[in-house]
Amino acid sequence: MVTREELSLKLIERLGKVKLTTSGSGKQLFVVVAEKDLSTSVDYVFNQLGARLITTVGTDRTPVTGKYEVSYIFSFDRDNLLLVIKVEVDPANPVIESVTPIIPGADWAEREVRDLIGVQPENHPDPRRLVLSDDWPEEVYPMRQDFPFDYQPPKVENARPQLKEKPENTSVMTVGPFFPTLEEPAYFRLFVEGERIVGSDYRGFYSHRGIEKLADKVLDYNRVPFLAERICGICGFVHSCCYCQAVEAAAEIEAPARAKYIRTIMLELERIHSHLLWLGLAGHIIGFDTVLMQSWRIRERLMWLTEQITGNRKTYGMNLVGGVRRDITVDLQQKIKEVLAKIEAESRQVVDAISGDTTLLMRLQNVGCLSAEDARLICVVGPTARASGVDIDSRRDHPYAAYPDLQLTVPVYKNGDSWDRTLVRLDELFVSIDLVRQALEKMPDGPIMAEDPVVPPGREGVSVVEAPRGECCHYVITGTDRPERWRVRASTYPQLQAVPVMFNNQTVADAPIIIGSIDPCFSCTERLETVDVKSRRLKVYTKAELMEACQSGRLDGDSRA
Amino acid sequence: MLKIIFIALFNLAAALALAPLLDGFMRRIKAVVHSRQGPPLLQTYYDLFKLFSKEDREVTSDLVFRLTPVVCLGAVLLAALFTPMGGPAPLGFGGDLILLVYLLSIPGIAIMLGAMSSGSPYAMLGASREMMLVLTVEPVLFITLFTAGIKANSLVLADITGWSVSHGWSISLVIAGLALLLALQSELAKLPFDLAEAETEIMEGPFVEYSGPKLALFKWAIYAKVVIYVSLFLEVFLPGPKTGILVADLLINLVKVFIVVGLVELIELVNPRLKIDQAINYFKGVAVLALIGLAFALMGM
Repeated sequence: MVTREELSLKLIERLGKVKLTTSGSGKQLFVVVAEKDLSTSVDYVFNQLGARLITTVGTDRTPVTGKYEVSYIFSFDRDNLLLVIKVEVDPANPVIESVTPIIPGADWAEREVRDLIGVQPENHPDPRRLVLSDDWPEEVYPMRQDFPFDYQPPKVENARPQLKEKPENTSVMTVGPFFPTLEEPAYFRLFVEGERIVGSDYRGFYSHRGIEKLADKVLDYNRVPFLAERICGICGFVHSCCYCQAVEAAAEIEAPARAKYIRTIMLELERIHSHLLWLGLAGHIIGFDTVLMQSWRIRERLMWLTEQITGNRKTYGMNLVGGVRRDITVDLQQKIKEVLAKIEAESRQVVDAISGDTTLLMRLQNVGCLSAEDARLICVVGPTARASGVDIDSRRDHPYAAYPDLQLTVPVYKNGDSWDRTLVRLDELFVSIDLVRQALEKMPDGPIMAEDPVVPPGREGVSVVEAPRGECCHYVITGTDRPERWRVRASTYPQLQAVPVMFNNQTVADAPIIIGSIDPCFSCTERLETVDVKSRRLKVYTKAELMEACQSGRLDGDSRA
Repeated sequence: MLKIIFIALFNLAAALALAPLLDGFMRRIKAVVHSRQGPPLLQTYYDLFKLFSKEDREVTSDLVFRLTPVVCLGAVLLAALFTPMGGPAPLGFGGDLILLVYLLSIPGIAIMLGAMSSGSPYAMLGASREMMLVLTVEPVLFITLFTAGIKANSLVLADITGWSVSHGWSISLVIAGLALLLALQSELAKLPFDLAEAETEIMEGPFVEYSGPKLALFKWAIYAKVVIYVSLFLEVFLPGPKTGILVADLLINLVKVFIVVGLVELIELVNPRLKIDQAINYFKGVAVLALIGLAFALMGM
């Protein structure tokens, strides 16, 4: 066990003079280190103290301090402690030493900092573009403060992603950008010899939406939760909850107890629906459509229930900074209990039916293995980590909402294959049902909104929430009436970086279920503007017209941006 | 002569016109097990009709690519004329069993050739899977049918059926029948052995580049294959009951086909797709079983 004070002392001892700030919640420590000390301190924290890297945030703070800031957010899972190591970077020479050689899991986050803020990570092993679109001009960094949120880049013909060269004597199988089993765009290139995969390459981030920029430039504190909810169609409540908690942590607002319980209930209902959804999709991927139909039938009951509670099947619109917008009345509590009883009985039937299925075991066991060591290095979270024997769960390790009051068991398995990831999720299904029951039992009376929450500017807050797919992290620097910087790290972000490791020595037939077994949500990882096209007239577009339409953002006035 | 023409027309009609209904029947069963409402019974006819009326996009002007769908369906229809479906086979001669087995292997080869000519990597992978499956499963069909032929002392399908009806069960026939039943799931490209198509892995594999009428021809051939394979299995290994009235026999066979196809569909519904190496391992076991049946037949049991 290490407390915040001990950790501060250790860091001072190790690095000499460092600037320490703390936040009010007592669980967050912010340390500013010199650029030359970054590698040493990161190495010390990750390898000696056993912390886990959550993500890296690049912030343009030139209006306040005249510097860019790069923050590495670490989690001490056993100690309920979040550590943010920051370096300040001079805009005249925006270069830092990459920590990816020390922590492979920092790979994407550092490339993202380079793409969005323009701070170059030196000695990065894979310095290709990550987040920005392939036709985006060089040297234009969208997350800088002087960058307008509605900027449209100039037209480019035939932009192509930078791809890895295929190894000799292999052929390329592509999974994506549009693939029938992955409902979202993601481009995996598999280098195969016959059916065996010998290497892979990934290009994603096809549906950027500019969500962070929008929050930093346009919306205000209480509009962002509704935007945050739209980061992901499946774990939307997680994101809005995580954002609200981050602002609450920064502003030292305490949400009322009843609001916390309602958040917990909604989070767990969301987890039940998400795991049932995943089970169905996993079944579909390996051709087992009976599982798909049955688990989605069970899930449907839950969707009706959430519609009764919030008015929506998904995208509930429940959270605000300081509390929630709708109460769960006594009638609804009764209804929830009834639906849960049915869901539990029906899920049990499905789980019993599939857990002994030998053909299913043949398809899932020893497929897509991820060792505990790799899981730690790539910093995977959630069911993927727990299936590899990494015992982390932010509901238990960083308790938030009503979780400190509830009894929670965390299922952990050892093999790290797709079957273990399935087992973790099946176990969690019943844990979640139990948690909702406990929360309903203990829910106190009282208000559901904090009175008159005020958010002072210039504070920082970090919040983690255990989403169904793993841990989500939101980082907020408060501004005057909107966040000065809001960084989202969705749960799929680290898991996707582990997929190339899981591909090792597998066959093409395994590829979709390996990708599926991390419960991927590609859009969660992506952040830029997208265009929703709704054209009723029949028209065939040429490639040039489509490019034109993409770049101007509309198709004959029928679209809505 | 009139009788033979009638049977020929009946067989062709069963293979062509009735086969989509069989697929619709399977889709209804699937829907019931899935707790779904499911499509109408005639949906497969509508699907075929829609495909035929669609524009035909060709990825290559290769003649092989254009011809293989026709060859595939043609071979299946010819096979239908050699298959007894309740009554005697309309075309038959001494040794027609050998011809039938060859005819039945043509669709698989046509699918492979068409896939390879399209040049898509998914089609290539599907074709290589199809080839591996054909090479492991077709021998089972060979061996089991020849087992029955040895018992009946003839390679004429009509003789084999007649012998089965009059002599009843024997150890070798039971084992061979069982082996063919185990292989049937793969011959009909049903889960867990639909690896060549595997739409969630390689997007329908060999058919990925086919569209419109050509795809319809392939699909139709696959539906027709179901009728032929199941009829063949039933006529050789479960020929009874025979009434002696031709029309009644033909109808009884159809009812039996529906029952077997229903069973095949139920097996499909409780299994995920296997990988190619797992499937081949499975069929090695089935082939050994078929060989045991053959050995018993050679010993006269």
